[in-house]
Amino acid sequence: MNAAIIFVLLFGLMLTGMPISISLGLTVLTFLFTMTEVPITSVGLKLFTGLDNFGIMAIPFFILTGQFLTRGGVARRMINFTVSLVGHWPGGLGLAGVFACALFAAISGSSVATVVAIGSIVLPAMVDHGFPKRFGAGVIATSGALGLLVPPSIILVLYGVSTNSSIGALFMAGIVPGIILATLLATVTWFIAWRNDYPRLPRATWAQRLKAFRDGVWGLLLIAIVLGGIYGGIFTPTEAAAVSAVYAFFITVFVYRELRLRDVPKVLLNAANLSAMLLYIITNAVLFSFLMTHEQIPQAMAAWIVDKHFGVWAFLLVVNIILLLAGNVMEPSSILLIMAPILFPLATNLGVNPIHLGILMAVNMEVGLCHPPVGLNLYVGSGIAKMGITEMTIAVLPWLFALLTFLVIVTYVPDISLWLPRFLGVLH
Amino acid sequence: MVRVLLWILDRLEEILIGSLMAAATLIIFASVLYRYGSGIPALYPYFHQIHFSWAQELSIYMLIWMAKFGAAYGVRTGIHVGVDVLINQLHGGLRKKVILFGLLCGALFTGIVGTMGADFVIGLMSTDQVSPDMELPSWIVYACIPLGSYLMCFRFLQVAWSYWRTGQLPHHDAAHVEDIAEAEKPDHVGGVAA
Repeated sequence: MNAAIIFVLLFGLMLTGMPISISLGLTVLTFLFTMTEVPITSVGLKLFTGLDNFGIMAIPFFILTGQFLTRGGVARRMINFTVSLVGHWPGGLGLAGVFACALFAAISGSSVATVVAIGSIVLPAMVDHGFPKRFGAGVIATSGALGLLVPPSIILVLYGVSTNSSIGALFMAGIVPGIILATLLATVTWFIAWRNDYPRLPRATWAQRLKAFRDGVWGLLLIAIVLGGIYGGIFTPTEAAAVSAVYAFFITVFVYRELRLRDVPKVLLNAANLSAMLLYIITNAVLFSFLMTHEQIPQAMAAWIVDKHFGVWAFLLVVNIILLLAGNVMEPSSILLIMAPILFPLATNLGVNPIHLGILMAVNMEVGLCHPPVGLNLYVGSGIAKMGITEMTIAVLPWLFALLTFLVIVTYVPDISLWLPRFLGVLH
Repeated sequence: MVRVLLWILDRLEEILIGSLMAAATLIIFASVLYRYGSGIPALYPYFHQIHFSWAQELSIYMLIWMAKFGAAYGVRTGIHVGVDVLINQLHGGLRKKVILFGLLCGALFTGIVGTMGADFVIGLMSTDQVSPDMELPSWIVYACIPLGSYLMCFRFLQVAWSYWRTGQLPHHDAAHVEDIAEAEKPDHVGGVAA
């Protein structure tokens, strides 16, 4: 009963269009004021202690890294590198776009940053070379979603923090699915380009490839710093994030010299703006999950599931449906912060590995980013391509279908996510 | 006069959150360097006098302050996302009322939180509780809750007022990246095509 009141209140407030963080907070306050004896001051304290966690601080640092990288010519060099490798295949520029998105995702951690950074360069180039705009927009908007899955991913950090799972293990778990998904998206791109005989670029020579690699190596090194550093035990994910932010500042300002020192305050301010927004949702989601635990809602749901003899199979199906539906109204980090604390105890109860659940949720969020009405990648893509949302929606369909297929595979083959972390010994 | 004060408040807010962000990053970076630097025998004599045990705590506190004031800045830039599926279907007076209701709820929530936080901080002032590593008085550390929340409340009221007057809401555009879209094209692609 209480659960029903809480969720009705939450959805009612959300529908008025107020910030999700505020609707979460107000729901908690209203409920605590009217229905319980919980001392209200403890709520104020939670707004501080909810953030008092070194793991969470990886988020602002990764956001700052992404802000530097989107402005500093790193994306262009990555594109040059992937173009030199695959540009002569059918749909060459599109394929290069997919792989550049995967590489950029591996250094930036955000899906939107990836779409903006890669899309604003690849899309105009594709149109110049005679690709239909729809094809380009579809490729980039969906490939950008790799940012959620390929480490370092801000979504995976959020999941790790809100369920107390190892962020390092989550990052390692994201690698194999990320590679498979990139391959899948590239296959779709290749197939469409081959069927329609889209233009190819001349094959680059090995000298050109080497030069493109040397130009891009500073950005590519960041992948080694983050993943190698975390896996090698050199630093924690948060420290890795801070180091990569300083590194990104260094290469964009001093090595590539594409960002002027006097523009740095603006980058900092933008990063602070984005991170504060996320951290504000986090504090209120912490309040909300405190309310959930206080009312023992996850426990009640778990008891119900056990009672109904739900298998893992059916549970995961229901989880996917709920998340896909939520993806129609909310953006990924809010869904994750609200749902992860609820789903986590249920999943562990049924013997689903928490790391697997995290990867599953990340892939699910990717799907949500690529379809209307709230798919942020579509809006970003339509901004870059100057296309309407309806046309964008049609443009992404082939890749969206591939994403959904991939979601089913990841859901029911846990080994895709769990193999690498087990192999590396970060997961037992 | 009010304009000048508001202008100063805006700039102070921006400078505060930007520098907290930079400082926290640099502190963690320096503490990593320090950890590995002190392992090198040649550097040990210089490094062992410096203590970095406070670094983690300080950077967390800085980022929490950044988050509290940044959330207020975010109201002004319109970055706090909401569910707009329903309100996009509404038109005219009703839409305006619903949006104003949302903004005022924001002001209400942040106002309540600010007051609770202020109560809590005033309670702390009479104790001598300190933070674990740096031994800062706790009330200073926690002061970001009332200060940040009241500022955020003020920003909500400010946005609501200007929306009431002009019908304009601040809007954050994720797709907008200056400098990049016009200036850059891949050289290699350009080169091959030419």
